[in-house]
Amino acid sequence: MNFKEHVLMELKAEIVARNEARRLRIRRRLLAGAAVAGIAAAAAVAVPFLNGAGTPAYAVAKNADGTITLKINEFRDPAQVEKDLAALGLTADVSYVKPGSRCAPDRGETDAGPSFSKEELASKDPEVRKRINAAIDNSPNGKAFKMGGGEVRIRPQHIKPGQTAVMEFTENEDQTSGPEKPRALWQFSGYLVTGPVKPCTVIDDPSWNQMPDPKTNPEAYPPAGS
Amino acid sequence: MRRRQADIATDVEAFEVFYRRHVDAITSFLARRVDDPHTVADLVAEVFVAVLDSAHTYRPGLGSEIAWLYGVARNTLSAERRRAFKETRLTDRLGGRRPLDSDDVAELEERIDAESVARRALQAMAGLPDGDRAMLELVVIDQLTVSEAATALGIRQGAARARLHRARHTLRNVPGIAPFVLEGMR
Repeated sequence: MNFKEHVLMELKAEIVARNEARRLRIRRRLLAGAAVAGIAAAAAVAVPFLNGAGTPAYAVAKNADGTITLKINEFRDPAQVEKDLAALGLTADVSYVKPGSRCAPDRGETDAGPSFSKEELASKDPEVRKRINAAIDNSPNGKAFKMGGGEVRIRPQHIKPGQTAVMEFTENEDQTSGPEKPRALWQFSGYLVTGPVKPCTVIDDPSWNQMPDPKTNPEAYPPAGS
Repeated sequence: MRRRQADIATDVEAFEVFYRRHVDAITSFLARRVDDPHTVADLVAEVFVAVLDSAHTYRPGLGSEIAWLYGVARNTLSAERRRAFKETRLTDRLGGRRPLDSDDVAELEERIDAESVARRALQAMAGLPDGDRAMLELVVIDQLTVSEAATALGIRQGAARARLHRARHTLRNVPGIAPFVLEGMR
């Protein structure tokens, strides 16, 4: 076979694989965002709590098991989060971007993550879903970041020297959502970059408004507070 | 336009059109710089993978598609040279070679032969400072316009002209090179 055709075939396969990996990442972000809807609303109520100096009482907490917990409302002040994490010995790069936008994906050397076939991604089989989630949880990025319950848990033991915890956070101004009026409430994306990290170049994110159908994906719309 | 360029990284058909439009130019670009058929074939693949990674960096207002693509190809080639240097020091790299049939090898060798004059000219330029040499390469060897070469290198047109002038001035008295650098090659 002519090598140009061979190379073209390899590249087309690469594009398909990348598209699948991206769809998976977007879907996971949406599910994670929807799952904490109720708690995110509660956290918003807590924001007017101010300490004597007139600044929000930030609490980047280090837990007994060595993990670090970040509350959703803390992402509104990226510089402070970076400072607080630095005090705990963690190099972080935090961006707060507007709904409908995100950071361009070329911010540095990062793990490609697990890849799956189209059939696996579309599957409703709980065994397949379990396998996909386990593969994500066991990937380098999945080990370093856990989401849920209105907070992000960082596990520094899975971050190597020279790596930066890159976190991108987007939040909808309107924090109400439901099957009648579906919208993403917030979106968190966390991954590790090895070596230098490029600053966030904000680009459009059309997927922000692409919501799963509540009839076919009821799991994306859990009851508030779950 | 920017939309269309971004699509080549996600739309298989858009990518195929882009690939077929430029694969010969990129193969020649590489054959002017590398004289081994297998390495040229591997680098063609690497350049187009880099295109997938950086499709969003293309800005139509700043120059032609080919200028942008040559910029990507230059970066790929210098990354490959850094890597090759590191790897030959660490291990002997044997794997990762793409199988080529005899027609492929013959076609690539023909292409490499056809570019031998260009490769000799590039060798003569080797002593120039990096920035000046890069500019001269793109204009004289790869036949880009000054503004396209500026796009490929990500520099301003004024700086590009200054580099080109300096490079031509330095090479003016090298025997056998003067016709190339003063008039262009073809």
